[in-house]
Amino acid sequence: MPTRLVRWVVIAALVAPATLVAQQRPIRGTVTNADNGQPVPGAVITVRLGGRGVAQAGDDGRFTIVVDPVPVRLLARAVGYAPAEVSVAVADSTVTIRLKSDPLLLDAVVVTGQATGIERRLATTSTSLVTGDRVNAVSAASVDKALQGKVAGADIQTNSGAPGGGAQIQIRGINTILGASDPLIVVDGVIYSNATVASGLYTVTGSGSAAGTGPQQDDADNRLADLNPADIASVEVLKSAAASSIYGSKAANGVIIITTKRGLGGKPKATISQRLGFSSLLRGPGMRVFDTTSAFDLYNSPEDSAVIRSLEVNGRLPVYDHLQEAAGNKPLSYETSLDVSGGNDNTQYFVSGGWSHQGGIINNTDAGRQSVRMNLDQRLNEKLKLSLSNSFTRTTTNRGMSNNDNSGAGITYALAYIPSFVPLKPVNGEYPQPAFTYQNANPLQTIALASNAETVNRFTGGATLTYQALQSGKNDLRLVGAAGADLFNQKNTVYAPPNLYFEATQQYPGVSTLGNADSRYVNWNLNAIDVFTPSGPSMSFTTSAGLQYEDRQLAQARSTAIGLLEGQSNIDQGAVFGQPFELNTREKTFAMYAQEQLQAFDERLLAEVGLRAERSSVFGNTNQYFIYPKISAAYRFPNLFGDGSDFKLRGAYGETGNQPLFGQKFTTLVGGVNIGGNVGTQVGSVAGAPNIEPERVKEFETGFDASPFHGRATLEFTWYVRHTTNLLLARTPPSSSGYSELITNGGELRNSGIEMTLGVAAVQQRDFSWTIHSTFARTRSLVQQLPGTGFSPPTAGFGLAFGEFFVEQGRPIDQIIGQTSINPDGSFNVTYMGHASPNFKWAIGNDFTYKRFFLTSLWDWQSGGVAQNQTLTLYDCNLLAPDNGTPAGMARANNCFDGIATPYVQSTSFLKLREVSLGYTLSDNLAQKFFGSSQVRVEVTGRNLLIFTNYWGYDPESSNYGQQAVTRNVDLGPYPPSRTFMFTITAGF
Amino acid sequence: MTPNVHRAMPALVVALALGAISLGACGGFDITNTNQPTQTDLENNPTRSKLSAAATGIFAGARSDIAGFIWQVGSMGREGINLAGNNQPDYQEPYFGPLSSTQFGGSQWAGRYANIRSINVYLDAAPKAPDLTAEELAASQGFGKTVEALAFLYVIETRAKLGAPVDVNRSVTASPPPFVSEDSVYGFIVGLLDEAQTSLQAAGGTSFPFPTPPGFSGFDQPSTFLLFNRALKAKAEVLRATAGCGQPCFAAALATLPSTFISMDASALATGPQFDFSTASGDVSNELADPLDGTTFFADTFVIVHAQHQASSALDARVLAKTARATRVPTWSIPAVPLPGTLKYTIYFSGGQPNPNAPVPIIRNEELILLRAEAELGTGDRGGALTDINFIRTNSGRLPAISSGTWNGMSDADRIGELLYERWYSLMWEQGTRWIDARRYNLLNTIELGVPDGQVPQQMPVPQDECSARNLPTTCSPLGT
Repeated sequence: MPTRLVRWVVIAALVAPATLVAQQRPIRGTVTNADNGQPVPGAVITVRLGGRGVAQAGDDGRFTIVVDPVPVRLLARAVGYAPAEVSVAVADSTVTIRLKSDPLLLDAVVVTGQATGIERRLATTSTSLVTGDRVNAVSAASVDKALQGKVAGADIQTNSGAPGGGAQIQIRGINTILGASDPLIVVDGVIYSNATVASGLYTVTGSGSAAGTGPQQDDADNRLADLNPADIASVEVLKSAAASSIYGSKAANGVIIITTKRGLGGKPKATISQRLGFSSLLRGPGMRVFDTTSAFDLYNSPEDSAVIRSLEVNGRLPVYDHLQEAAGNKPLSYETSLDVSGGNDNTQYFVSGGWSHQGGIINNTDAGRQSVRMNLDQRLNEKLKLSLSNSFTRTTTNRGMSNNDNSGAGITYALAYIPSFVPLKPVNGEYPQPAFTYQNANPLQTIALASNAETVNRFTGGATLTYQALQSGKNDLRLVGAAGADLFNQKNTVYAPPNLYFEATQQYPGVSTLGNADSRYVNWNLNAIDVFTPSGPSMSFTTSAGLQYEDRQLAQARSTAIGLLEGQSNIDQGAVFGQPFELNTREKTFAMYAQEQLQAFDERLLAEVGLRAERSSVFGNTNQYFIYPKISAAYRFPNLFGDGSDFKLRGAYGETGNQPLFGQKFTTLVGGVNIGGNVGTQVGSVAGAPNIEPERVKEFETGFDASPFHGRATLEFTWYVRHTTNLLLARTPPSSSGYSELITNGGELRNSGIEMTLGVAAVQQRDFSWTIHSTFARTRSLVQQLPGTGFSPPTAGFGLAFGEFFVEQGRPIDQIIGQTSINPDGSFNVTYMGHASPNFKWAIGNDFTYKRFFLTSLWDWQSGGVAQNQTLTLYDCNLLAPDNGTPAGMARANNCFDGIATPYVQSTSFLKLREVSLGYTLSDNLAQKFFGSSQVRVEVTGRNLLIFTNYWGYDPESSNYGQQAVTRNVDLGPYPPSRTFMFTITAGF
Repeated sequence: MTPNVHRAMPALVVALALGAISLGACGGFDITNTNQPTQTDLENNPTRSKLSAAATGIFAGARSDIAGFIWQVGSMGREGINLAGNNQPDYQEPYFGPLSSTQFGGSQWAGRYANIRSINVYLDAAPKAPDLTAEELAASQGFGKTVEALAFLYVIETRAKLGAPVDVNRSVTASPPPFVSEDSVYGFIVGLLDEAQTSLQAAGGTSFPFPTPPGFSGFDQPSTFLLFNRALKAKAEVLRATAGCGQPCFAAALATLPSTFISMDASALATGPQFDFSTASGDVSNELADPLDGTTFFADTFVIVHAQHQASSALDARVLAKTARATRVPTWSIPAVPLPGTLKYTIYFSGGQPNPNAPVPIIRNEELILLRAEAELGTGDRGGALTDINFIRTNSGRLPAISSGTWNGMSDADRIGELLYERWYSLMWEQGTRWIDARRYNLLNTIELGVPDGQVPQQMPVPQDECSARNLPTTCSPLGT
């Protein structure tokens, strides 16, 4: 009713500025560790009842806080400890608060909405939280690589071994075929681009065209690589649709919420960390060893025989380890990071700088990042608080030449063509032209002279303004507005000089490509959150509602020159200019949401309902709102397994979406077609869908969280089933239609699985502690319904003779099919050969401390799943596999010639020792004496130290096509994998 | 006052929602694709300049698969080989077989139908353009239908008795069009060419309302383009004759040839429209211009083995003019293929150097003369055939003429053999002629296998996507042929 509405608006306006004036008293206190009585530095103390002060304990654990002259309750929180609440009577002016350590993060806060959160033990959906300490336990090139094995249900796979970024995250299985496959990434409330912008390497390798599959095969890095992992305070992964539906039509692949470190106030504190180490080749294919006879058999023309004779050394064919020559570097890597934080009651700051360099095991490849961050929290008045988060990053990479190659540029690709008796190393500075190779290439010459460089400058800034509109005994109303921008510019140069052997035979030798990308993401949101506690802490309602707007733009352009002047690499130094490419995309999304969160019966019953409505420029009907509901509930049984234990049953239903990609609704003409000096248009190969809609994920999950043994162990178990309907499909129409792709909505995909996260604080003693972290996940996918027939997704592979992805009803979404036998009539028998996703992933981490020593390790086990090992097909078809002389090797080679895919679709099962860290924390005396520092830690860390697998060749985690929803596991001449050791000193001041 | 703000929340929600609606209404969500023109714009709002661009695209589309056509069909007929190295299907399928319906064997189809779609969009849009005269519209239609017929010719030349769909101007979401027989496809092509003739004649003296590429100089007015149209008709009738039609089609070809640019001028053998290539930005270069030390395309040495000799005992002048020894013998050769790869084609060279701008002939006078010879043989005019064949032998191959005594003493099969020899060497590495002719005359078994356990394919298969759209197995024959 309008009159009532007006009344409430008036009341809301009237109460907002209400303030209380009260007499005040100071309380002095100490925060200590309940286990050993040591002070807990940096704890934050807030007044729960009787005032609104905030204070922070110093290094000695002491604090002073001003409260009202009434009995008050104080709450103390510190990282790694469970929060504790104490009462202070009117007469008391001192207090000691004892905090219990919380290595399993039961009391950390997880996200429930755009501006709301809840303690983890009260969450109604499954949660995954990784602290910054665990992210940074062992140095990693990018945040996604650092998260491998740490989040149950997040399948994180590196695309290649190249230095720098280049990994993909898949949460709860494959939920799309054609849509975006990356989770949404939000850093301090700012939507953060994780775009993968191709380098243009395809202009040298000829792997594909700009409009075709060229850009995907460039082994480009994804832009999460720009985020300095050292700045991260925590990473939360929203996996369930009920949790991620707060991000609506972009959340089907999950949401990764990254929170960076912030100042806690108090005296300035500084941390300096220096890492120094090296990498080395982890594994790769062996080589076939020849004698003169077997060489004659393989290379059988008279000219060949003469060449082979000429290569003999003392009458025998030599053996060169070409992989070691190409990728045997042990390059230095280093990482320096510094941060300073501090402030006072009103102002808290965190400033950091980072400088890292990662060497590549192939010469002239590396990755670097320089970053600065400034996070500031400013209380403007009693009710108004402003939080700023800003970072500037410069990321550089030299990634070399890898992946699919048609010209002779790829390093490991060419190695598959060169027999071990052919010398490649330079003689008197001249690289020999190999007698037997691929497209005349000498890969060592390519390494020395070609380049593939990238520079990214990125600014990410966000501001959040929180207005405490009302705070009374029963009501707590906040208005939160946030806005952010994420801007980057990426420049790529790819250069193959004309004197490279593989270039010299081209019509126009020498290629130079200059690429530029400009990305601009802007988002803002407005929220009102009211917490209503009608009758004390036993029951509360949190109501929130708000708006969100997002504008994403990416402009890419590339230009190539061929026929270069010797020694010149600028794109105006060539004979022919071509392959121009420009693509500008823009998506706008606007959303409204409302949400209610209930806690009742002393935090036993927890429930949430929410609704989000979204419209977007990428939908066919841009005026239509799509609705995403969620509902979840949990019931807790505190102390069920004895004092301090907890048990919670939970269930949730939610819906999220996946937006169509820009351009999928348009049927475009191909412009810029030239003949005889005239420019023209042709009908494009893709028929768009003018009425396209987002994909929709509907998910039900249920499970329990148990923390028995006084909360010293946790087991989180979740079972889920998600149906994705209205899939974005690129159907293959009959090519007589003139189109090769038809975009439609349709079909249904089912993913179900279980996730378990186990944490055990097995031993918690003064001198010795042992904590176990384990994650387990398995997912099963099934294409339940597909309009029309099955189809090969784009980038399905290289033909049925080697195995190809094929989407088909009644099969796993990522099945690989191939020719497995020849029928009597000469035709091939094409059968199912497995699916790319693993059957399960299981990671186990152990953290030990003994006195001042600590040892952490993380094992990552992946079982099942298959990949297209195209690298092996090269070795086999060239008769250069190490076992070629054996019956097994010959049988495989025959399969290659017969077109049988069986040997080339291989299991990717592996066990990797992802992370090891062994360190020592210096005593305060030593730290003070040698470093003048309050705390010093020295450690040796290693990443990817060991791998156990039956997979042939390089790394079972390889993706020739980069970031892909379905067609991930294709291994074709990748950058080889490496292991990394780092020596680290961290000092706090 | 004990305000209950919680209960005020609905008001806030409403207020925010009102704000949202006002924000949502502020527009800006209809973001257009600025990267490319859209097809609907061409279909619904055609103008002279948009149609002109589309016509240029159609010229480019007609050219797009021609290099592939030459080396792919050429590989099946052992004219040459693509040893690019890593793309095994490129030499494996034509030499060792079987042809797959997805890789090599499934090609030479989609690109043609893509251009047919471009042409149909163009033909549907052209009448809606407000700024074309009736004559210009007729010229445009004559152009479009002629190029469409050319696209269907390329399709049916590789698929032969498998047939092909012709009723393809339908929505991409409609059910797939039926396959029709080889003869029906030729009938459809002839129909298109005749409709185009009517339109080109209706255009009168007007010029095309779009630029024509340089390769069409001499054929760049509706009246001269008609010469090209008639040449295609003569070719289609000859091909149709050996696909079952026989003498009536040969006769139709003979009746058409005088309306073409056929000429017994020895210096005009190369006359005819051409596909242009260039290295300009956005254009396509002639990939067959592979240098003598290049490692992609090689001529098969069978072209020397079969070559006849001039009176001087030198080889057929066409072999000498069109091939040269490779200067870089691929000692890196692929282990599975024992081909030496010692010979290269120099057809797309200028001044001894590979010329990526070299044009590829579409149909030229030399072919028209040989088409006439074939039609004459097919209608029993041996003498006429010998005149034409000797004209080519002496002028193009520098070979001694065949006496009429010898000619009349030859068997029918030998006369056909002689005709096909001339067609092969005259059109070598231009048209895939050797394999197409061998198939037309059931002589595929005369093509060498070239490699141990080799195969010479019967025809290229129906692409897999056509099969699966009709719920047929991966390798299919929709007509059951």
